Amino acid sequence: MKKMVLAPVILLLINLQLLSCKQQSEPIKETSSTVESVQLENAVTYAEGFNITSYKDYTILDITKAFPGSDKVYSYALLNDSNNTQLADSLKNSNRIDQTLITPIQSIIVTSTTHIPSLETLGVAQTLVGFPGLDYISSPLSRKRIDQNLIKEVGYNESLNTELVIELSPDVVVSFGVEGENKTLNTLQNAKIPVIYNGDWVETHPLGKAEWIKFFGALYNKAHEADSIFKRIERNYLSTKEKAKKIVDKPTVLSGAMYKDVWYVPNGESWQAKIIDDAGGNYLWSQTAGTGSITMSVEAVLDEGQDAAFWIAPAQYTSYSKLLSDNKVYGEFDSFKNKRIYTFAKQKGIKGGVLYYELAPNRPDLVLEDLVSILHPEQMPKSSIFFTPLDE
Amino acid sequence: MSKSTYTYCFIGLTLVLLLSFFLNLSLGSVHIPINEIFEGFTGGELSKKSWEYILLDYRLPKAITAVIAGAGLAVAGLLMQTLFRNPLAGPFVLGISSGASLGVALYILGGTAIGISSIYISGKWGLILASSVGSASVLLIVLSVASRVRDTMALLIIGLMVGSITSAVVSVLSYFSKAEELQRFIFWSFGSLGDLSWRGVYILTGCFVIGIFLSILSLKSLNTLLLGDMYAKTLGLKFSRTRLTIIISTSLLAGSITAFAGPIAFIGLAVPHLIRQVIPTANHVILLPAVMIGGAILMLLCDTLAQVPYSQYTLPINAISALLGAPVVIWLLVRKKKVLF
Repeated sequence: MKKMVLAPVILLLINLQLLSCKQQSEPIKETSSTVESVQLENAVTYAEGFNITSYKDYTILDITKAFPGSDKVYSYALLNDSNNTQLADSLKNSNRIDQTLITPIQSIIVTSTTHIPSLETLGVAQTLVGFPGLDYISSPLSRKRIDQNLIKEVGYNESLNTELVIELSPDVVVSFGVEGENKTLNTLQNAKIPVIYNGDWVETHPLGKAEWIKFFGALYNKAHEADSIFKRIERNYLSTKEKAKKIVDKPTVLSGAMYKDVWYVPNGESWQAKIIDDAGGNYLWSQTAGTGSITMSVEAVLDEGQDAAFWIAPAQYTSYSKLLSDNKVYGEFDSFKNKRIYTFAKQKGIKGGVLYYELAPNRPDLVLEDLVSILHPEQMPKSSIFFTPLDE
Repeated sequence: MSKSTYTYCFIGLTLVLLLSFFLNLSLGSVHIPINEIFEGFTGGELSKKSWEYILLDYRLPKAITAVIAGAGLAVAGLLMQTLFRNPLAGPFVLGISSGASLGVALYILGGTAIGISSIYISGKWGLILASSVGSASVLLIVLSVASRVRDTMALLIIGLMVGSITSAVVSVLSYFSKAEELQRFIFWSFGSLGDLSWRGVYILTGCFVIGIFLSILSLKSLNTLLLGDMYAKTLGLKFSRTRLTIIISTSLLAGSITAFAGPIAFIGLAVPHLIRQVIPTANHVILLPAVMIGGAILMLLCDTLAQVPYSQYTLPINAISALLGAPVVIWLLVRKKKVLF
């Protein structure tokens, strides 16, 4: 009997050995910066996932929430003087720093379309050299650069092709953090290509997502520009929110759609739910905890949402006829009968990428204007940058 | 077949292996000229720094992983087919891959579905650990059953049943998971040979060597086993010990490969049949090295195709191995009109 457990145990032991190897890190040599932390005016206010601390000769970018439930802080040192080798070495040897980068970045690969508007607004779109899944990109400026072959395809379906990335050798790869291991990213790190995490998708405050422009501002030594761009978005958002706040009569709002026989609706603490709330809508599931989606049976949704006044964002659907042909139950909703369903799925880039996925996280002010103009047309002139009525 | 014919067969197989290995190294998404590749392997300077890295630190570990995965799974498949005297058996009949799937499913999907957080074992080795723990647990169950069950066929059925249970649990977990988690899990289940660090390659090699060593120890018994359990016993074979050695060897091979490269299907089932068609023998002293070389060749060729040379696409290795291998097996069987077993 004893022998029987040998093989699995050997495997286990080897793995445990690995883990322990991993945890033996080098001795701590903290950077000896006696300079007080200088709080620039771009201190992060809404976003919970990152912090920027500026020192005299360098900036520390801390990513505190690379993915939901992440308990590790990823720290990146941004050095704006490549000649200061002494500082660079002490930062590299510091235990706190995961990665040292020389700024401004000259060439970059990003992995989410939500990163692209930030690059464009900061005027550094020309540094983007590769992207996995080019067809997802909608913005005309970047599409033009793709046509000129200035942005290379580096993978498919958001998974990076290791060889193509190494061939391009960008200054940095910005990845959206995913829980656990990513073999490709480990390989890139070994190939001396810095990979840094961007957790914009984890943010739950509408303005928190938009604030990640400061993350890119730090990479390009454009902290001030990033700050003033964000301030403008913030002003717009808050003034629209104020307008909507005064409205007493808040229509009920339903959201999501079915996949197979499960209805996915945004949770009450999610970004989508908050924006509906800020737009003066009474979102049916605003009381639910959590940030992702909730899975619900169609019965439960019908029970609660049949008489909802509006239906915002029915997943990928763009027409009433498609809704009805997929499932007759959709026709039972008042919002369907009264033709009050609005979708973001119709606004697409030239290659079929959905504009909302790319631009909405960066421009919550525009999303909010759209929604207020739908829910309270008397308050706002018609705005349909993202949301348009369903086709017949 | 005479001794010299076998020798020629092995020389031929070895040459094809070397050729496949070189082909695998020279083709990929990025085009690296042949003379540069020679330069790289003779210690010269390549004209681009990135090429050097791609060649020596990405493609080379990948090719070595392919050789080990192909050879290891083929041997594991052969051992299982002989142990169960069943041409349909493969390296995963004892539930190794379903156990690994369960471990990985709990690791990736568990957080959403049942609130287990995988953060405690996150990082580089989390997936590998989850996969190993999963397959080890299922194996422990199968092993403890094996010590009680005298009949080898019953063991086969028990392995299949355990597989059904784990896949049912995985279905339930999948049902309640987020899209991106599902995508990660599905991608893991496609298998992948690339992006192993050198340390990973060393560990895999270590497990492989031990597994192969154990199977070499049982060579004689394997030949006897083909005659049937009862007959083997009358010939004085220590049956339960032999069976245990074979199971441990298989689990080390298939378990470690699954941990590092995901559940790679088909190779383990098909290669022994391919080799038996090429070298018609029941002698494991010849079969074992032949299936090792054959498995390595098939895996290297599959990986070369899966890289879709000169394009940004890569295809899942599991799909390619079956697409490429299955028609060959069918064609051979139709031509020979029977299974040589």
